[in-house]
Amino acid sequence: MLTYDILIVGSGGAGLYAALESRMEEDLQVGVLTKVYPTRSHTGAAQGGVNAALANLDPTDTWQDHWFDTVKGSDYLADQDAAEIMTREAPMVVREMEHWGCPFSRTDEGKIAQRPFGGASKPRACFSADKVGHVMLHTLYEQGIRHGVNFLNEWQVLSLMHDGRRCQGVTAINTQTGRVHTIQAKSVILATGGHGRIYWTRTSNALGNTGDGTAIAYRAGLPIKDMEFIQFHPTGLRRTGILVSEGARGEGGYLLNGLGERFMSRYAPEKMELGPRDLVSRSCETEVREGRAGPEGEVFLDLTHLGRERILERLPQIRELCIEFEGVDPIEEPIPIKPTAHYSMGGIHTDLNGQTSIEGIYAAGEAGCVSVHGANRLGGNSLLDILIFGRRAGKHALEYARNNSFTPVDTGQEEADTQMIASMMEGDSGASIADIRRAMGNLMAEKVGVYRNGKDLESAVSELADLQEQFKTVRIQDKTKAFNTELVSALELKNMLDLAEVVAVGARERKESRGAHTREDHPERDDKNWLAHTMTTLGDDGRPKLDFSPVTITEFEPKARTY
Amino acid sequence: MSEKITPVRKSILANIRIQRFTPSEHKSAYFDNFKVKVETGMTVLEALRLIKNTQDSSLTFRAFCRSKICGSCAVRVNGKPVLACSTQLMPILEDFKKDSVSIKPLKNMPVLRDLVVDIEPVIEKLSKMHPYLMENRERIPETLEQESIMSKQEHSRFDYITDCILCGSCYSACSAVDADPSYAGPLTLGKAYRFSADVRDSFQGERMQAAVDQGLWSCAQCRKCINVCPKDTRPAVSIQRMRKMSIDDGIHDTAGSRRAKAYTGDVAKYGQVNKPMLPVIVNGPKGWAAIEAADNYLKKHGIEPTRQVCTLGGQSSTQKIYDKVKELEAKGENKT
Repeated sequence: MLTYDILIVGSGGAGLYAALESRMEEDLQVGVLTKVYPTRSHTGAAQGGVNAALANLDPTDTWQDHWFDTVKGSDYLADQDAAEIMTREAPMVVREMEHWGCPFSRTDEGKIAQRPFGGASKPRACFSADKVGHVMLHTLYEQGIRHGVNFLNEWQVLSLMHDGRRCQGVTAINTQTGRVHTIQAKSVILATGGHGRIYWTRTSNALGNTGDGTAIAYRAGLPIKDMEFIQFHPTGLRRTGILVSEGARGEGGYLLNGLGERFMSRYAPEKMELGPRDLVSRSCETEVREGRAGPEGEVFLDLTHLGRERILERLPQIRELCIEFEGVDPIEEPIPIKPTAHYSMGGIHTDLNGQTSIEGIYAAGEAGCVSVHGANRLGGNSLLDILIFGRRAGKHALEYARNNSFTPVDTGQEEADTQMIASMMEGDSGASIADIRRAMGNLMAEKVGVYRNGKDLESAVSELADLQEQFKTVRIQDKTKAFNTELVSALELKNMLDLAEVVAVGARERKESRGAHTREDHPERDDKNWLAHTMTTLGDDGRPKLDFSPVTITEFEPKARTY
Repeated sequence: MSEKITPVRKSILANIRIQRFTPSEHKSAYFDNFKVKVETGMTVLEALRLIKNTQDSSLTFRAFCRSKICGSCAVRVNGKPVLACSTQLMPILEDFKKDSVSIKPLKNMPVLRDLVVDIEPVIEKLSKMHPYLMENRERIPETLEQESIMSKQEHSRFDYITDCILCGSCYSACSAVDADPSYAGPLTLGKAYRFSADVRDSFQGERMQAAVDQGLWSCAQCRKCINVCPKDTRPAVSIQRMRKMSIDDGIHDTAGSRRAKAYTGDVAKYGQVNKPMLPVIVNGPKGWAAIEAADNYLKKHGIEPTRQVCTLGGQSSTQKIYDKVKELEAKGENKT
């Protein structure tokens, strides 16, 4: 049996920060289990910035301004004590990253450069050209090597184990060999990222953002929170969902429907294409629903009128991205786009230290939900979230592991998981992973997407139950043990189906519109009944069981959210 | 006024040839052919995923971000290392005027299965290179009240290398790794230079020794790594700069640094390299054995060996080149 004092599942920013924080004094064994290699993690895809009120650009910026912007952006669903911690500690963690070598862009005085960002009242997003997530991820990995963090690369987590009170560890499969292992740990930190892939092709997320940690926590009886809140970005590429950044609209790009009409004049006649993200996403979706889309249900982002020179000078990276990923040169023709699922605000419920309802089990980053993003995350706050709460979880887990002994664990779970995999590998015919996955993605995008209503959500919940039934007959055609990526896909699909159901049920129950959650049949925010977090646990009948808990309000009374 | 938009979308029925190999089942690698309807916009990765979803679920490859930032999906397409996710198929089919394209795993690393290679050896080499910043307390404050001050110019010395995504394309293309598998490879030396060029770092000496030990002077400067890098990080350029840094640091006692000095010194003096003497200058007294062997070989073929080197004409032009190089060096090493 493998043992670690602290085992971290997931190697993005939250996981690596937690690993580093808990390994700094090099007295405990710290392992990071990841289904990829650490530098492949999805943190690397974040381009824009990490928020911290350093006041390098605007000397009047304060962490209190950042605090208010975050709470307002969340549509008042964020817990204000959590948002306070995050914004107050932000300058310190960003400087710590800098001291570890993170190459932020610089001001003329040689300080960390900052830029304006959507929803922020002052320019406070610290950046490194268009690759800040990438350089942060590499910096954390490099320091992890320096301090002797152990990496279990290309392992897929299977189950989370606890005795009802304390953490025992996890089971996981080593993809390179195909063997299932029990890993005993005093403390486990789940930092597996978001679950945008429940929308399958309609997401900007990496192929592996399948919510593995959130799903195993849910199956182990831990409450998960605010799952119905999924942020959509209006301009994802038609084929892949990869983001075309807001810069294209900022430079004067038009949004056109299939008829060539500049449709934003119907929805935001003044701001036009520069309206807020959620409004623009809803407008695109309305055009499609009312039959004015292009041949494949897309709308278009048109830059052709800007002319070759302006595109080459101002938007070279966006042009390269369209050519490489969509085969379309924006100088020649309009870019086909669709709104794309971008960020999961919900996740495993934790306290301010990242601890869950079980001692020794923690969650951080997009997999966790403290909550700081509430109903809608601000740009530049996701990278901050992973640093702050990765760090806090690491620190707290370190103290916990120093003061506690291992909780006994047997190999029962390992045997059950081995059996579960063996039964999927037996036989040749059954439902296809690709078919179920595609059906799940389509129905989530149609019925639990940008727009939602009671009737569609009801049918989504029952269709998802059907897909779960079908999944029980899934058979893996590939019988090889080593590097069986078909098996990994099946395990991921199982996780996604569980979470998709929780998202749909949460969306069905929440009868209001708040932040990213838009109900056509309940278009207003309803603070009287719904200023509350949705808490979901796995019921005895195997279906999600909903509960609600109050939002912590310390400083800012809820007001209408206008920009 | 407004005009209906009708995008041009072509499609070709193409033959995708993919190298297959499962060590536990096959003695050697072989090719499978898959027919795929390639459409405008389809990437190599999309084609691989389509094949896996509809034709052969055992086809094995790595992929994660799909957006050219994670480096998982590097493979060779028609022999060239590329990221599958950012490589369009239609232009390749049109350029080669064929309806067929071959996909193979990266070179210079053992194959684990089909298109998946073992990158562990590369990670091990990287880890030995001290690929992290060790705080230089003259630049990095003791407390978190302040960040360190680093000018834009200081930052630009290494910023271009921080684009590296460790995808392994350069390692696959590297002729020096091909010749000597113990050589560290372009990406690891690039990373070493990235930190040694950072004014906030205090570990230059030990890292430089690690680089020298792992083959800093083995790079043949063939520049293939520069051609294949999907992020334009130019590893061969970093290797050159690292070599110069090592000589500036006073590491003169390596074969590579002696060769570099002999080249620059000879050209300044004679306008050409004194090739017959290079083995001795580079390798010391044991170089004589090589020279004698060469002498004997030439004599056997009726050629009289010489150790004379004449001075070529046009020394003043040579001097101008040297002056220009010195001038450029004085200006610093910005990304050009």
